Amino acid sequence: MSVMLQLSLVRSRARILTMALGFGLFEYIVGLSYASINHNAIRSLVASLPPALRVLAGQANVASPTGYLGSGYLHPVALTIQGALVISMASAVARDRESGAAELILSRPIAPWRWLTGQAAAVCIALCIVTAGGLIGGLIAVAQVHDLGSVHPASLMLASLAGGLMFLAVAGVTLLISIIATSGARAVGWAAGFVVISYAVNYLASIWTIAKPLGAISIFHHYDPGVITTRGHLSAVDVAALVGLTCVSVAASIVCVQRRELAST
Amino acid sequence: MSDLAIDARGLTKNYRSARGITDVDLEVRRGESYGFLGPNGAGKTTFIRLCLGLLHPQAGSVAIFGHNVATDRSRALAEIGYLPGELSLYGSLSGTATLEMLSRLHPRSPVRRGELLDVLGLTAADIRRPVRQYSRGMKQKLGLVAALEHDPPLAILDEPTGGLDPVVQLQLTDWLRERVDTGMTIFFSSHILSEVESLCDRVAMIRDGDLLLVRDVNDLNLSSMRIVKIRFSSPTDPSAYTSTQISDISVDGTLHECTLQGSPAPLIAALTHCAVEELTMVPLSLEDAFRALYVPSGGESA
Repeated sequence: MSVMLQLSLVRSRARILTMALGFGLFEYIVGLSYASINHNAIRSLVASLPPALRVLAGQANVASPTGYLGSGYLHPVALTIQGALVISMASAVARDRESGAAELILSRPIAPWRWLTGQAAAVCIALCIVTAGGLIGGLIAVAQVHDLGSVHPASLMLASLAGGLMFLAVAGVTLLISIIATSGARAVGWAAGFVVISYAVNYLASIWTIAKPLGAISIFHHYDPGVITTRGHLSAVDVAALVGLTCVSVAASIVCVQRRELAST
Repeated sequence: MSDLAIDARGLTKNYRSARGITDVDLEVRRGESYGFLGPNGAGKTTFIRLCLGLLHPQAGSVAIFGHNVATDRSRALAEIGYLPGELSLYGSLSGTATLEMLSRLHPRSPVRRGELLDVLGLTAADIRRPVRQYSRGMKQKLGLVAALEHDPPLAILDEPTGGLDPVVQLQLTDWLRERVDTGMTIFFSSHILSEVESLCDRVAMIRDGDLLLVRDVNDLNLSSMRIVKIRFSSPTDPSAYTSTQISDISVDGTLHECTLQGSPAPLIAALTHCAVEELTMVPLSLEDAFRALYVPSGGESA
């Protein structure tokens, strides 16, 4: 497994470092921007928005330092960076099958599940590095911007951890899709579709009473970084849901990879 | 350990949209050099992938040195060095990093790496470069080093000389012949008859997923077989030039076509008494060999 882990990290090293740097810079800019806004104006702007737009920033008060910094993790840039990283790395399983590179490796005495878990471990480490990049950017902003003084670093760490857990679940689902999909492009498409649909389900559940019961099936229902930074703790139910989805999807991937034919497609 | 390097019994694998192989029984003895011949799409790669456990058979089984691939895959693969027909390497890795990564996945040490790099003409500077900068031939050489560097008891090579220049092909063939003499088993697929003849003890021919024949290569004499086309200036009776060396004669007006086995001198001597306008002789192609070996002159299957 260590060979596969090393191989996967070496192949993705430029992508991981660029995204970690980019995520850190983005969260830093989000923090810096708080000093330049009129908090009362933001508060009244948010209050005047229809609910359908207000829920886009999560349930927290985005005019508060904690809510503002936390909601930065729900910004499309932050979601895209983390989502692109895990989907591109986890779908390497399907791309390697398609290209024939997996055939070269799996013709050696290595069990398919070890090949897969090596890739899964690499995605996990890469996500930790990128999430840490975002956290460091946020922490630097907290240290530099006087108005963010009320933000406790531990609560920001919890928001980062929650983001890491959510995208780990996305990685698990992408791994499973990669084993089933017949090409790398399809794996990426289906995984991106899973994220988009999950986001849409949560959004609908937030604004439409009839759809509210469906909210719990969305990964985004279990991830509200603004609330986490404001309250300073993670919901055990949300952690259990995200970790559970990760474990189930990785376990299903291992079962599938042992049964699946892994010759190039 | 079994005396059979490969022992396939009733191996069947069909795809949804295409035919794979059907009920193939094939035995490759330890220390043998075995050629697996067939046109593209005949089922050669399917058979090899079944041997490696990369595909699962719908029926039958295959064992490598007695280790059933379905139930004891790791031990079976520990005996194998494999070169895929469509080699795909990681472009961002250097040649050295590729070899290191692949050798760490094999329980045997890469004891023959230096020797193989010399034989295939890969320099230290070559293997320091990223693989994405390699030509097709260099990639093939790197794949061969990766497949053979740990001196596997069984080398499975799918079209090993593709992309190699003729000099390197000869050097590789000589090296493989030396390894066979010291006990290595080689199973390789090809659609090039001369390559198979120069290296193999036995050959199997496969077409449309069916194993057509298994023969000692010495019994085939493929290199001495030629397709002869003769255009006469007037209608001529084939009895004017027929001999025991001539078979499969077909006549279309003044154009005669036949298969010649052995020296062309007696045929040329016989034709001096005929009014020949044009004479061509070409070595047997794989399809010609199938016709010559599988379908006798009577036109019925062997």
